[in-house]
Amino acid sequence: MIAEKRSRLLSEMKSGETGLVVAVAGGKKATKRLADLGLTPGSLVRVVRKTLFSGPIHIEVCGSKFAIGRGLAQKIIMDFNA
Amino acid sequence: MPENNHITIVLAGQGNAGKSSLFNNLTGLHQHIGNWAGKTIEKREGTLFYKDYTIDVLDLPGIYSLTTYSVEEVISREYITHHHPDCVINVVDSTNLERSLIFTLQLLELECPLVLALNMRDLAKNRGINIEYNKLQGLLNTPVIPTVASRGYGITDLIDEILKIKGNRSSHAVHRYGKEIEDCIGQLTSLIQINEFAYPARWIAIKLLEKDKDITKLVGDQKPEILGKTKELSDHLEEMHGHDSSLVIADERSHLAYQLTREIETILPNRITSLNDRLDAITMDRISGYIVMVLIMGGMFFTVFTFGNWLSGLFDTMFAQFHDWWNNAVGVSSLASLGWAAIESVLALVQIAFPYILPFYIMLYVLEDWGYIARISFLMDHLMHKMGIHGKACISFIIGLGCNVPGCLSCRIMESRRERFITAVLVTLVPCSAVSVIVFGLVGKYVGLLWALGLYVFAMILIFLVGRISSKLLLGEPVELIMPMPDYKAPQLKSVFSQTWDSLKEFIYIAAPVVIVSGILIRAIDLAGWMSAISSFLSPVTVNWLGLPAVTGILLIFGILRKELILVMLAAYLGTTHFADVLSPQQMITLAVVSMFYVPCVATISVLWNEYGWKKTLIVCALEIFFAIALAGLVKRLLDFFYSAG
Repeated sequence: MIAEKRSRLLSEMKSGETGLVVAVAGGKKATKRLADLGLTPGSLVRVVRKTLFSGPIHIEVCGSKFAIGRGLAQKIIMDFNA
Repeated sequence: MPENNHITIVLAGQGNAGKSSLFNNLTGLHQHIGNWAGKTIEKREGTLFYKDYTIDVLDLPGIYSLTTYSVEEVISREYITHHHPDCVINVVDSTNLERSLIFTLQLLELECPLVLALNMRDLAKNRGINIEYNKLQGLLNTPVIPTVASRGYGITDLIDEILKIKGNRSSHAVHRYGKEIEDCIGQLTSLIQINEFAYPARWIAIKLLEKDKDITKLVGDQKPEILGKTKELSDHLEEMHGHDSSLVIADERSHLAYQLTREIETILPNRITSLNDRLDAITMDRISGYIVMVLIMGGMFFTVFTFGNWLSGLFDTMFAQFHDWWNNAVGVSSLASLGWAAIESVLALVQIAFPYILPFYIMLYVLEDWGYIARISFLMDHLMHKMGIHGKACISFIIGLGCNVPGCLSCRIMESRRERFITAVLVTLVPCSAVSVIVFGLVGKYVGLLWALGLYVFAMILIFLVGRISSKLLLGEPVELIMPMPDYKAPQLKSVFSQTWDSLKEFIYIAAPVVIVSGILIRAIDLAGWMSAISSFLSPVTVNWLGLPAVTGILLIFGILRKELILVMLAAYLGTTHFADVLSPQQMITLAVVSMFYVPCVATISVLWNEYGWKKTLIVCALEIFFAIALAGLVKRLLDFFYSAG
């Protein structure tokens, strides 16, 4: 069986899932700031947890954890094996 | 030659790497040690005497990169390239090695004399992280010293290394990007002559490809023909990779950091990390997280106010005796009265600082040092977004609960000016400990604790509404939350005390002079006999609209100094501390509502003035006065209605 390759937004991923960043479509500043923290196209991101409603998402990138707003997570396109 | 014995070093690193601890340890000066990203903004300098050397140490702001994103980043790279420090110490968080190395690689590109301090090695060890220091040193061709800045471990090794390499630049290994990028860099550097700019040619080439605004402008002014070539090359990179050339480089840089980390770091499964994950599972959970937050914050308030009321009572007795002694010793004259006004202002500050503000900040910074405050920002981010700001603003709100002065100052952690201003305005509406003294001393004591807590809920709803309105009025794109979540760690007493002292110092330095001067001024007005004129002038508002005794006009003027004076003076004017005899419950609630919102105290006003200019400050004050009076009048009418109906 071949794993079906799909892409979706970081905001749509579930807690515990890991995926590869395909593109960051956020503003210039936010994109740069994410890159400084190691979140660039090609990096692996693990969703540690999500909050109730549409709060921020707790993620792990490059071995360190941070929180990013949901609005920004909606602009990060992920590619992962479902 | 004495010149040779005098050297300058700078500390550069990302937030939370322990840069401030290292600075304290090197120079013996006190300053902030925080968990918040990018908190250090002021320029901090100190001097260290070691062996025969005098070493000037400069603490650069905590930043994540050397690309123009924030003022701090520009400050840092300009300093390094223009002032040529003898050595740059890159303070690296050993527990976040990969992320930190991204910044280290950028420092290496600046070709400055560099030493890496791999800080917090004890925490890294506890978390099962093993780092091969020698290997890293070899790979970067840069000295690497493991340190534990908070305990002074590794500091002398570090200074010895600095003395060895001082002034010796560009000996580091050059890390190579992928072939296409290196091609572009090569083509650009061939167009730039050595020493043509204050920056290294290779660095200029990289920054041009990264579309750095400042560097593009600098090069464009001197050699506009290079920009054409840059455009051509970055378009080429974008075509090949499918995204912006600045991202292509950032991506390769973080990939380099990843490879370096894999080569030198091994992580074993361990107890500490799993404990941290278990704590997070409770404190950041979508349900239990909020329960824990309410319990912790509620517990903190309960403790602070129980302790504060007890200590404040003790002070009351002491100060009353002191006043009697003063009257006997100095006699009763206008001058003596003015003198007492000055002393009274100081005593009023003491009475709010020690019983309430001090314990509040100690507890707050224990929570911060432990790592909990970042969790609150996480939990509250969604709500904050509805006000056009993000989760970090919560930190300012909580600080504002102690005192609005450090609360407003802490708004500097917000990224954009727009958000800084919105947050500061909202902080002025946060009931500080002085306001809480009124709320609990008047409403809590004589009307009921539930009413007092109700007023807090009311304040929260109000702050939320004002936030919503101001985020609609002040145009600009909201900034999204991007915040590192530090692991929980045992709070360090030293850093808790130095942060508490810093907040208290802001309160004392900024509040005290303003409060003393205005205290004397108001007493002078009182002595001149203008107070009754003022209170009758204000009576249409105080008596007719708010239904309060005429004397409250004077109280509200004194309240601008320190809000708790409203309560103190109320007792003095009415001749009793048993307020229930002279005020109805409706009046007490109305007075509390006016006191909570009518205007920030003078000390807070002076902070707003400094940070945002007089125009905005005056508009905020005028709006708040008008709004608070209108609101309190409505509250009074509502209460009257319900009381008569009941």
